[in-house]
Amino acid sequence: MAILQLTNVTGGYTRKPVIKDVNFSIEAGELVGLIGLNGAGKSTTIKHIIGTLLPDSGEVTLQGVTLAQNMEKYRSSFSYIPETPVLYDELTLEEHIALTGMAYGLDEKTVKERADKLLKEFRMERRLKWFPSHFSKGMRQKVMIMCAFLVEPSLYIIDEPFVGLDPLGIQSLLDQMAEKKKDGAAILMSTHILSTAERYCDRIILLHEGRVRAQGTMADLRQAFNMPEATLDDLYIAMTKEQDHA
Amino acid sequence: MRNLQAVWQTRLAHYTNELQKYMRYIFTGHIAIVIVFLLGAGGYQYSAWLEQVSPTFPAAALVGCVMGLLIMFSQPTTLLREPDAVYLLPLEQKMPQYFSQALRFTFTTSLMLIIIVYVAFIPLLKIVTPLAITMIWLGLGIALVMKYMSIHSEFAFRYLYRGRFVWVDRVIRFMLVWLTIATYLNGWYYGVGIGVITQLIYMQLLKKKVHNKPFPYDHFITLEQNRMLRFYRFANYFTDVPHLRGAIRRRKWLDMIYQLVPYRQQNAHRYLLWRTFIRTNDHFYLWVRLTVIAAVLMAFIDITAVRFVIAGALAFATALQLQQALTHQSAFRMDVLYPVAQAHKQAAATSIVRLLIVVQALIVTLSHSMQPYFYVTGAIMLIVGLVTQKMMKKA
Repeated sequence: MAILQLTNVTGGYTRKPVIKDVNFSIEAGELVGLIGLNGAGKSTTIKHIIGTLLPDSGEVTLQGVTLAQNMEKYRSSFSYIPETPVLYDELTLEEHIALTGMAYGLDEKTVKERADKLLKEFRMERRLKWFPSHFSKGMRQKVMIMCAFLVEPSLYIIDEPFVGLDPLGIQSLLDQMAEKKKDGAAILMSTHILSTAERYCDRIILLHEGRVRAQGTMADLRQAFNMPEATLDDLYIAMTKEQDHA
Repeated sequence: MRNLQAVWQTRLAHYTNELQKYMRYIFTGHIAIVIVFLLGAGGYQYSAWLEQVSPTFPAAALVGCVMGLLIMFSQPTTLLREPDAVYLLPLEQKMPQYFSQALRFTFTTSLMLIIIVYVAFIPLLKIVTPLAITMIWLGLGIALVMKYMSIHSEFAFRYLYRGRFVWVDRVIRFMLVWLTIATYLNGWYYGVGIGVITQLIYMQLLKKKVHNKPFPYDHFITLEQNRMLRFYRFANYFTDVPHLRGAIRRRKWLDMIYQLVPYRQQNAHRYLLWRTFIRTNDHFYLWVRLTVIAAVLMAFIDITAVRFVIAGALAFATALQLQQALTHQSAFRMDVLYPVAQAHKQAAATSIVRLLIVVQALIVTLSHSMQPYFYVTGAIMLIVGLVTQKMMKKA
């Protein structure tokens, strides 16, 4: 059974839908890239998955349930790293970790163990008592990443993860993602950085003007566009051109 | 590219609009009445004092000192904004055009205060100085000229030293203005010549040094942001300023309160909201302010019925504003996604505010325990607070 399943999802902020009839699924142990231009509907798709937007029609199921059917199960099955870090100005790093652990029902010992590893990995051990106002953009991003990986859910939703991270931070994030994949988690990652997506994603979903234009492995996509040697950049440009001529 | 004069004009229009929007709230109702009352009372006291003031009263030194203080603080209003550090960068050569408008604006807006204060001193000066009335009025002219030069000097000084050592400049100008005006009012007119020429040289020196130096956008943008922030903070006492992000303070000495929240999944919102209340200055001081006001008023008001009414009103204000502050949030925050029922979140805010109402009632009760029926006041505060909370939950 797929961990995440979107069936004919249409929706947006107002009556006019931003995404139309979106269908895709993600299996355990898969890293799937959600690729699209600015305004293609990546963030809107993600908002429908995390439940801050509700679809006009269609259905999103996570671990077999919709948000309406079982809020608690749905919400504890994923963690989300937004494109711009959202932190509490009034909480220290330490308290962000404690609050996340508490909210997701982890016991204190587990939180401590997982947090120690993450803090070390992202080189933030010395900043436990700091408030977000003293963090750089990259550090704020790291706090979001650590909180997401602390939960160890079955699905990670990561929006534009590499912007603002230094090369070591990017490597740590990729390592974490690889480890969680091995443990059977699914990851949905939206990004503009096509070379990274090509290199690390098991499958790619190409989103254009609110619709899924193509999806599959790199081999599938090359075959679909009939461009056997193409990189993801080539395929992407080909797709947008095809659109313009159509 | 539109010229910089037009840029200044739009800035100014936007700025005046923003001020007017909040001034409406500040000057409606009780504040205006309080100000009129205070001015009336102050004027009465002042004229009574003038009747018996000693002719040796050092009025010249005092007026010089007050003018010195008013003229010393000549922070230029540039209305620069953050994006300017990028977008106006290529226009560096043309910026003097913009700044001369800005400094003119700074001068005209600061005229009023100096005129009002100086005019208020005139009756005193007439009594204790040897000057004729026309010469006293001329003193105002001198003060304004010095203010004008001060604004230009402070701007150039901040420009030159990129915002550092501002106090050096201020002390220099304070001494200059004080000496000039004090000696003038004592009848030594040459003092004016020396003072004004010294300041003129000082200003010209600074201006010359600044020439062809890169403009320190960061410093002036921070100045503008802080100025607006001060205004918004002030306005926030009268109305809700939406984009004002409250300042945060750690308040470590209150850490023991967090013991009230044991580590449990259902307590996640309580964990967050207690810290939000304690550390957000706006929320925390709101409660402290209303509690202190209530406690002091109860101790000093002698009419029991009036005490009851005021206590009720303050309890209502506390419950209403805190409940709103802790439940209302507009921006996306991570707790929206927590797998904890929405009901827990509501319950967390309600229980925290309830406890704050109880503690407030307790403090106020103890503060006037020598007054008759002090326990009734406490009971009123409790009932009004809790009922307000109940009504808000339903609404």
